[in-house]
This record gives sequence, structure tokens and C-alpha cells, in this order.
Amino acid sequence: MLFLAPVMAVLGAVAVFPIAYSLYISFFSIKLTRPNRTPFVGLKNYTDLLGDEAFWGAVWRTVSFSLVSVTAIAFIALLVSLLLNQEFRGRRILSTILLVPWAIPYVANALMWKWIYDSSYGALNGLLYQLDFIDKYMVWLGDQDKTLFLIANAFVWKEVPLTTILLLVSLKSIPSDLYAAARVDGATVWQRFVHVTLPAMKPGFMLVMIYETMMAIRHFDLFFILTEGGPGSASHVLSWHIYVETFRNLSFGSGAAMSYLLAIATFALSYLFIRTLGRKI
Amino acid sequence: MLKDKTRRLGRRDFLRYSAAGAGALMAPGLVRPAKAETAALTMHTWSAAVDTVQSHLSAFTKETGIPVNYGNSPWAQYREGMVAKFVGGAPLDAMWVSDSWLPEWAEAGWIAPVDEFDSLMKYNAEAEDFCTDSMTYGGRQYGLTYYTDYMAFFYDEAKLKEAGFDAPPETWDELVEQSLVMKEKGIADYPMMLAMAQESWLIEFISTLVYSHGGRLVDDNGMAVMQDPKEGAVEALSWVVDAVNKHEIVSPACVETGELAGLKSFAAGNHAFAMVAKYRLRMLNDPEQSQIAGNVKQAMMPKGANGSHATVGWMRFHGMSAQAAQDKARAENAAKLIEWFGGKADGAYTFQKLLFLDIGAGFGVKPLFEDPEIRAAYDSYGDVDMIQAQQALARKKDTVTPWFGEWNDTNGSAWQSAILGNVDPAGAVKKSADLWNELKDSY
Repeated sequence: MLFLAPVMAVLGAVAVFPIAYSLYISFFSIKLTRPNRTPFVGLKNYTDLLGDEAFWGAVWRTVSFSLVSVTAIAFIALLVSLLLNQEFRGRRILSTILLVPWAIPYVANALMWKWIYDSSYGALNGLLYQLDFIDKYMVWLGDQDKTLFLIANAFVWKEVPLTTILLLVSLKSIPSDLYAAARVDGATVWQRFVHVTLPAMKPGFMLVMIYETMMAIRHFDLFFILTEGGPGSASHVLSWHIYVETFRNLSFGSGAAMSYLLAIATFALSYLFIRTLGRKI
Repeated sequence: MLKDKTRRLGRRDFLRYSAAGAGALMAPGLVRPAKAETAALTMHTWSAAVDTVQSHLSAFTKETGIPVNYGNSPWAQYREGMVAKFVGGAPLDAMWVSDSWLPEWAEAGWIAPVDEFDSLMKYNAEAEDFCTDSMTYGGRQYGLTYYTDYMAFFYDEAKLKEAGFDAPPETWDELVEQSLVMKEKGIADYPMMLAMAQESWLIEFISTLVYSHGGRLVDDNGMAVMQDPKEGAVEALSWVVDAVNKHEIVSPACVETGELAGLKSFAAGNHAFAMVAKYRLRMLNDPEQSQIAGNVKQAMMPKGANGSHATVGWMRFHGMSAQAAQDKARAENAAKLIEWFGGKADGAYTFQKLLFLDIGAGFGVKPLFEDPEIRAAYDSYGDVDMIQAQQALARKKDTVTPWFGEWNDTNGSAWQSAILGNVDPAGAVKKSADLWNELKDSY
């Protein structure tokens, strides 16, 4: 126990105390610019959010962004992992190239996509224009109907490599005997995929869904660099809402309350995935 | 009793950790042993013209014998960093303050008025009125200005001539007419450059449009009047909405175009007209930085039907911390430092002149317009009389209040939503006004 004491002290200082303290301040009306007025307000910071139109708008956009991006990530990663699970020439090179997006830091990724989407000199406009898909340069990030999907696209590009690796590990762990037995039983390729591959990949999928859902719900960098929540409120998601409330408005109390609601939602979703996908693991 | 005690402890903890964070992250070198603190003043600025500030500080110490600990941090994190310093009680005597933060910092009791120092107040006679207004909150003056500028209207003279016009537009309607001709002649797809992205510049663009349409966003009692169709805001926003969607003389990309991107686009020759900060004129007429160098001229801000050539001005000033003000000797030394930077040093507005010659920063003290060196520098890229005339029509931002930051994001989103056609201009402005009044009530 004596040997553990330093570790416990460090953990307490860097993890337990900040978490407990942030929960504590979520019950106060703490606004840094009003240092002399920090009354205890109980659950008011939480209940105020329930009637806050901007908060619910942010929740809805966060859910939309997460649904679209996590579904796309899982689907694309599944296809790519199935491809990489085959033996073919150039597989190693393809695997290496695939890792590039993963190796790029989040902020650099966001800046890169900002250039790609730029309405005056962006690569996307240049490509589509030269291929005759558009007859004039488009304002991609200024279109509120497209913004969330374009940000999701940048997020998917960044996240697919890691997800692919996780799924590939699941694929590699399937015993070849199962496929051999299925073949003996006359199963077609599709039947082998549905009845052997997919069930065996469940643990991998569960990990992917939990990880990517958490990443999508909490993601901030792309929103900060690409749109700052705009245009209008088209990309005003929860993470952006929390950032604005906490670090621009310096309202630590309500910012902390929102962060706790986000954390609770993330835990709830993770639990749901574990209950649903982890039932027969 | 227990509840009160708990609350006090919590707040104290909060202050302690904020102080530790601020000290460790943002002010390396500033935290000194108590003995050193009393011996020297502490000044903090954002990271601009650092060498000029340092050399001027050295001259101050040489002149007065008062040492100064100087620290700076990036503009982007400056406000939050300073708030952390204030809350944490980090040593601080003088600092740069943006007019936008004055009400917030004054209400919190972090900065102190300086109007009891006659040595500082005497400079008001030579300062632009909007600068003095911008440093005044609750009837008290909180500093001395060292930098100011305003939103200017520029045009590309070559494109204007090519379109067959002899003079720049006097009104926003004339601007539309000239722009439509330019579009027809293929001179520019989007003749007018407006940067309406959600960033810190947006309120300056919005305020300029409203002021030049003869309006205001907030009245003298602090109540929102922007929603009143006679007060210019609805008219100004309607003009932008039509310019983007009906006349197509402003790019729909304006909602994602920040001030810097817009400036570059104008400098690349993509537009004939632009609304940007006046200090950008030097860059726009610099052949190494601009493809339209030599052709960029300034005109008075176009006016709306019931408007004027008014524009918005902003300024930065040297303020004194409440900490310093509590100690008479320290406050007097801090006032000397503020005068050295915001007033005269060795009988002249040295720092303002140095800043102008170094980085082209504007000044709020009128006599400098008569300085031969400054006139010569301005003449190399602009019309100094036009610059002075427009500056005289600059007005402070009427939205600067303790709740400005909270309102600003929603206001920007509302304007953008109208430009995107999501809501009509009156509805957008009403939403913004409702939030304003709600916030005002809550403060």
C-alpha cells in the first residue's frame, strides 16, 4: 500500500480532483467575469439547458453528425479491411498509404480540409470544375445544408484507417477452420460472410462503435477550424457549444454542466453498444 | 453557516488553481518573490510590436528609474489569459486593454479608473472623441489610447475607370449600380468584397453597415433598438441579403470569408470595392503584397438612404490594474508608465509614432496627423486628409457591454442565417435584439 501511495496521489491530483471539482462547480453560477457573484444554484445549470433552444439544436446536430460519420466509418472500414485481408500484390503498399490520414494530427487534418473546401482556390472545386461536374466554383462551407456532411467527410477520412486496423485484427483472428467447415457444408461466399465473418467480428465492431461514437460526439477540431459553428448555426454542435460557453463566455458553471451531460450521454451510448453487440461475445 | 463556509472555500480553491494555471502557463517569468514585485512594475501586452514596446520600456526605466517586468501573450488567448491572471491575483500594474473588454473588466473590478490623474486626463483634449468615449465606462475613464483604427471603404481605381465611372459610390445604392455594370462588363464576378464569417471582425463590419445606414444597434440607455426598422440594422442587413442573393454583387462565400481571406482576395484583384480596416491600405498598395498596388484608393464609407458616411472605430489603450490603484506609490508609478505609452514621452507622442512607423498602426491623437514624417509615410500609399476626415466620423461600438461576448455569437449567427436565406432580415435582427434585452436584464 505504501508503494501505491505516490501513484494514488498523482492520480488523485490529475484525475480524481479535477473531475470532482468540475462536478462541484456545475452546481454554481460561476462566471469568471463576475468573480464576486458565484451563488450555489443546485441543478439550475442543468435544468436551464432543458429549455435552451440552442442547446437542443446543438444536440440534434451532434446526433446527426455522429450517425452519419460513424455509419460511414464502420461501412468503409469494413470494406477496406475485407480487401486488406486478401492476399494480393501491392497489399503492403496499400496498407501503408491507408495509414497516412491516421498519422496526420487532427488540427493539420482540419487545416488541410479547409484548403480543400475553399470556395476560391480549393482542390475540390478545381477537381470538380475540370471534370465538368460543376460550371462554377461552389461555396461548400457556406452552404448550411452541406456543411455538416462536409465536416463528417473530413472526419471519416481521418478515422477510417484506425477503424480498418481494428476490424482487420478481428478478421485475422477468425480461425480458418470455420471457413473450411462452412465450405464443406456448401455455404456460398455471402453465407460465409453473414454467418461466419460478421459474427466473429462483433467484438471488433463493438470496439469501433464505442470508440468512434465517442470521438464523433466529442469532436471539436474540425468545427473550430473549418466553420466556427457556422454558417449561421449549421455546425453548432455540442462540443462547440461547450467551448463557446466555457472559454468565450467564461461561464464555467454551465459549461461544466453541459460537459457532464455530454459525458453521461457518451457513457449511456457506450453501455447501449455493449448491451447490444456484446451480448454473445 | 456551513454552506457559506463551503462556498468560500470552493471559491478560494478556484482562485488558487486559476492563479497557478495562469502563472504556470501564461506568465513565465512574471511571478517574482514579494520583494521584487514591489520594486518593479509589471506590464502585460499581447504579442504585437514586441521590440518597439521593449525599447520604449527601456527608455522609460532609463528616464524614471522604475524597472518594469514585461510579459506578452498572443492576441487569440489574451483576454482569457488576462481574466485568469486577474482572478488568480497575478502581479499586474499596467496592461493593454481592448475597448471591447472594458465594461467586463471594469464591472469585475480588475481595472481601475485613471481619471484622478490630471497628468493623464490632459491628453483628452488632443484625442479623438470616440477614443475617449471608448475608454469611458460608467462615467469614469480607464486609460490612455495608444492605437486606434476604423473600418474603411476602398476601391480599385483601375476597375472603376474600366467600368466607365469617374468617382467611387457615395451611397450603398450607387455601389449596387456600379457593381452591376462591372458584372455586365465582366470586370468582376463579385465587385464588392464583404467578409461576414463568424470571427472577431464580424461585429465591426456589422456596426459599420448599420452606422452608415444611419442607425445604431443599441440606444443610450443600453436597450436594443436594432429591431426597429427605422434604426438602420434591418435596412443594412436587407442590403447585404439583396447584394448576395438578388444582385449577386457580393459572393455567397462571404459567410465563410474572414477578414484576412477577404483582404487577400481583394489584393488579388478579384473585387472592385472592399470594406476592411484602414491600416490595410499600406499592404494593399505595396507591390510586393498586392496585385492591385497603386490602384487602391480610399473613399468615404457609402451611406444608406437615411444614413451618413459614419463608420465604426476601435481602439486599444493602456489601463491600470485595480491592484496597482490600491497602493498610492504604485499607482503613481503606473500612471507614469501609462503616460509614457499613451501620452507624451519626452514631450512627444513617441510611442504612437513609433507604432505607426513600425507597423502602420493608427493613432487616436489628432496632432500626429500634422507630423511631417507621418504625413510623408501616409502620402506614400494613401490620402492623409481622407484618412483624417473618415476617422473624424468614426464612432465607438455601441454594443460593448459586459454581456457583449455572449450576445456576439448569436448576433453573428442571426446575420449569417439571413444572408443564407434562412430567415428574413427583420426576423434575424429581432432574434438578436431579444437576446440582447434578455442578457441586459440578467446582468
